[in-house]
Amino acid sequence: MQSRTITALAAAVVLTAGACSSSATTAPAGGSSAPAASTGAGSSTAVGGKSVTIGVDLPLSGGEFANGDPTKKGIELAVNQANQKGGVAGYKIVLSIKDDAVNGVHNPQQGATNIQGFVADPTVIGVVGPFNSNVGAAEIPVSNRAGLLQCSPANTNPGLTKPQYGALSIRSAYPNRINYIRVATTDDIQGLAGAEFAYNDLGKRRAYVVDDTETYGKGLADVFVTQFKALGGTVIKQDGAPSSTTDYTPLLTAVQGQNPDVVYFGGVTATGGGLLRKQMAQVGMGNIAFGGGDGIVDGPGNVQGSFIKVAGSAAANSFGTVAATHDIPNASAFSDAYKAAYGAAPGAYSASAYACTQVILQSLQAVAGSASGSGLREAVRAYATDSSHSFTTQLGTISFDQNGDTTQHIISFYKTDMSAAGGVGDWVFVRQQDFGGAGSSGASAAPGASSAASPAASQ
Amino acid sequence: MTGEAPAPPERVSLLDRVRAVSASHRSVSSIVTMAIVTAVLPLAALVPPFSSFNPQSVWVNSFADAGVFVLLALGLNIVVGLAGLLDLGYAAFFAIGAYTYAYGASPFSGNDFPFWIMLLVGALVAATFGLLLGAPTLRLRGDYLAIVTLGFGEIVPTVFLNADKYTKGTNGISGVYAPGLLNLHFQSTNPWPFYLTMAAIVTVAIIAIFRLQDSRLGRAWMAIREDELAAASNGVNTVSTKLLAFALGASTAGLGGVFVAAKLSFVSPDQFGFTVSFTVLAMVVLGGMGNIWGVGIGAFIVFIIQTVILKELNAALAGTPLAFIDFLQYQYLLYGLALVAMMLLRPEGLFPSARRRRELHVAEETEGEPAPAGAMGGIEP
Amino acid sequence: MQMQRSIRLPSRVRRGPYQLVGAVAICLVAAYILVGAQQFSNFLTVGAIYALIALGYTMVYGIIELINFAHGDVFGMGAFVALWLLTVAGFHGAIDNPLVLAVVLVALFLLTMGIMGLVGMVIERVAYRPLRNAPRLAPLITAIGVSFILENIMQAFFGPSPVTSPQIFDLNARFNVAGASIGYLNVFIVLVAVALMIALQVFVGRTRLGRAMRSTAQDREAAQLMGVNIDQTIAITFFIGSALAGAGGIVWALYFGYALFNQGFYAGLFAFTAAVLGGIGNTTGAALGGFFIGFLYVAAAQYGYFRWFEVLVFGVLVLVLVFRPSGLLGQQLGERA
Repeated sequence: MQSRTITALAAAVVLTAGACSSSATTAPAGGSSAPAASTGAGSSTAVGGKSVTIGVDLPLSGGEFANGDPTKKGIELAVNQANQKGGVAGYKIVLSIKDDAVNGVHNPQQGATNIQGFVADPTVIGVVGPFNSNVGAAEIPVSNRAGLLQCSPANTNPGLTKPQYGALSIRSAYPNRINYIRVATTDDIQGLAGAEFAYNDLGKRRAYVVDDTETYGKGLADVFVTQFKALGGTVIKQDGAPSSTTDYTPLLTAVQGQNPDVVYFGGVTATGGGLLRKQMAQVGMGNIAFGGGDGIVDGPGNVQGSFIKVAGSAAANSFGTVAATHDIPNASAFSDAYKAAYGAAPGAYSASAYACTQVILQSLQAVAGSASGSGLREAVRAYATDSSHSFTTQLGTISFDQNGDTTQHIISFYKTDMSAAGGVGDWVFVRQQDFGGAGSSGASAAPGASSAASPAASQ
Repeated sequence: MTGEAPAPPERVSLLDRVRAVSASHRSVSSIVTMAIVTAVLPLAALVPPFSSFNPQSVWVNSFADAGVFVLLALGLNIVVGLAGLLDLGYAAFFAIGAYTYAYGASPFSGNDFPFWIMLLVGALVAATFGLLLGAPTLRLRGDYLAIVTLGFGEIVPTVFLNADKYTKGTNGISGVYAPGLLNLHFQSTNPWPFYLTMAAIVTVAIIAIFRLQDSRLGRAWMAIREDELAAASNGVNTVSTKLLAFALGASTAGLGGVFVAAKLSFVSPDQFGFTVSFTVLAMVVLGGMGNIWGVGIGAFIVFIIQTVILKELNAALAGTPLAFIDFLQYQYLLYGLALVAMMLLRPEGLFPSARRRRELHVAEETEGEPAPAGAMGGIEP
Repeated sequence: MQMQRSIRLPSRVRRGPYQLVGAVAICLVAAYILVGAQQFSNFLTVGAIYALIALGYTMVYGIIELINFAHGDVFGMGAFVALWLLTVAGFHGAIDNPLVLAVVLVALFLLTMGIMGLVGMVIERVAYRPLRNAPRLAPLITAIGVSFILENIMQAFFGPSPVTSPQIFDLNARFNVAGASIGYLNVFIVLVAVALMIALQVFVGRTRLGRAMRSTAQDREAAQLMGVNIDQTIAITFFIGSALAGAGGIVWALYFGYALFNQGFYAGLFAFTAAVLGGIGNTTGAALGGFFIGFLYVAAAQYGYFRWFEVLVFGVLVLVLVFRPSGLLGQQLGERA
């Protein structure tokens, strides 16, 4: 009996034992000669040469790996490039990568723990992440109190930044000391852009809306519904289909008789965008226009798992909005470098993550002369969140407003062209438009605002 | 702040005496044991190899989170381990507790009730839902009950998700107020108050559950677990006894929920999915169903494996020949293998309760299992 | 079939087949009236897939009383095996020649079902058989572990993104009947499911192995005394159950042209619910339960409550079990067995 207990315990401890070597920090893969400087527990600076750490908090396991991994690679690419040029202001950049998924699902509790880890590590000057808005809502209270800069490549929920959506209660410790910035445009702008494109450019009047019940998708779809109605259009119905849904034909059959002329999907390809489009063709709705946010504008038809790949020939006649300028300088240089490094096309948020890293690195560059050691973190935070500073990034030249939101409100519109990309189909650029200020001022029109119960009065 | 717990070396020398009194003074021994554990854990975090994973404050934060799962496992142990009712939707009560606190103390609701009162309220509300679910369904046999609870576990987060007018839906309720005690306001960057609070809650729960187990009610639970019919014919009111198990288990989860909402200052539906229910069940079974300390230790081990060790494998193995593997990607695989291996090696759990060990022994002697209460096998065309 | 039924069965079921057929017919007519012709065809398709998965659940439960949570992932893996076989065989689009299509389909079903059956047997051998006399919850935990392992294996081989399958069956081949446009593939799926179910009924009810299965399920020791090889019988049950899940996976790949490494879990959850609704251990019940859930799915979509589908399913489950504690066709044994 005793010996069996020991064997069984050994099974549990095998993992522990494996983890018993050193260091909590890794140098990014292929990070030139960067020493795998341990920054975790006790040690603070690397032996020989200065280094600083950028924390990365993303969902990197289970179903979330598809989101997190290309995003992480965008960060690694930026750091590797910086290190190859000899670092930033004499600092070698080290990454500390943490996974906020538990059992394959992003987990706010794990995210908060990860941020605690970064806060406790004095070499961390900033964090890229999180990916999910829910995780952000649990992390910002921690990083705000500690004054640690966070830049999210993907959070779109207005409630994380905008006071009228309740953000002051999230950063209640220091409501006026912004520490959380993001390069993604909030849902309220993308949903508005989608509605305007469908109504004005395409002349559609009767919309059927499906959302994936998740934060990004539901937020996008809700705003689309509000704005499409405000423009004078009719929304026949809004359905919620959880990401586990694969059969959309009953939903489509139910609205087919009411003659929608556009179907709008709030969500990403993996939560059903591609299948929905494909099944529209199956039930004879293939000629009806289809639209969505940047979650479905995910590359040409030869990329596994992309919208055009999943939907196949049915992908024709679809449109999507992307919260970035189309004519980014060096756009192809980025995707070429990414492909060269990882052998795959960049993911939906690779460029955003790359941009976030650029913001942190450029802030470091700017403040390195006047601050050092333990003062670096606060200096970087103060520089990056100062709305008078602008950054040249992969997403164009951006700066952050008084809430930490990007001031870049340009939305690019894309349509599918099934003859593009050598016949496999691709998204082609249509036009772009500046929605500057539209979203943040249009709070009263956005759903959810009413339920955000007077946040300013709190604490 | 560690000062209030006794220093470990003194206690080690007292171990035999502690053991001797523990039979007659279980509450005292529980308090002493928990005090020692509470003091030793943060110290262990300073010792290599643990110190290389994370700094102490992060470990303490993890311990506080682990405490939530210890609490959940203790509560589920009442239902599954003591009363023998399989509950696959336990996370529902966890969610109900968390949302109760979010309604009780957040800018969303406009209320600001003290955390300590809300602990009780959360437990009561969860217990009420336990009764509501249990009343119509507890007469179901064995695994029919399991699937109903599984369903309940899916329904609750779905309702929180879809009733967005009342719950802010998928965005969750943020800015939930932190607890305070006298002049001390708990802060998200300081895990110590949370850790000590959790340790206190777990201690109280352990004492209460020990007392319950040894009470008339506890004996009734075990009688029902072993043979419901025999229990009923000996005068045990099976319905109310089972309902009480359900309600008490639920209220423990409610406590955990209130704590988690207060600590994270945030609740959202996706924190309470079926993976939570399954994880807690795995903790109970791995620890040794029915054994209160065993279940607690099982929960602690599983939680640390899931949230610390699997997460740090990449960093820990950097520089070894295995470094080319991205271990983060294979967490599912490793966790799954660990579950299977531990169960195969030790099917009765790491620390089976004495009673269970005896049962298994008897079962072996009689060459076959006693018919389980929920037996309902059979294949029909 | 009748004479081989165990004497424990209540008379209601023994009188049953005609009553049952009548009841099912009435339900179908009601369903048709409620949702219309087009949705009726949708409902049969969804229901057929759930029913195929539910059969395996119910068989495994019937014989060893284990909620085999890995079953959903066996189904998910079946979809991957099917699409992998089709990809390797070099198919791209629809096959126009019906004869070729038939040959390919037969080969696909035989291979995939065979592979998944073996996978099921291996799982049973490694993770469940050693725990046969262990506490009842031990195999439940290994089942959860196996589920994670299978998902991670699929993720490692096929990646975390949705993987597309060659669609050899033309999705747009349709015919019109009663004002509805119905795909030939939908008809094929329902026919395959019904054929497999009938084959299973015959196997369980009329063959020697089937009898061994039923006797093992009812009383393992007595069956052993009568010369039934218990290990072999249980292994075969896993083979058949997993092969049926594999068939569900093929149908899935053909219909959706798509597979995602963790899709099996939720499908499995609903299939298990279907098995319980029908009365666990009862294969007819599992099939009916599958179609019933398919109906709820379509009805929720038709009436705009799709967001609440899960709540609806589990709500109905609770209601059914409150009034019939052993499911629709389960043995009604009252409070205690």
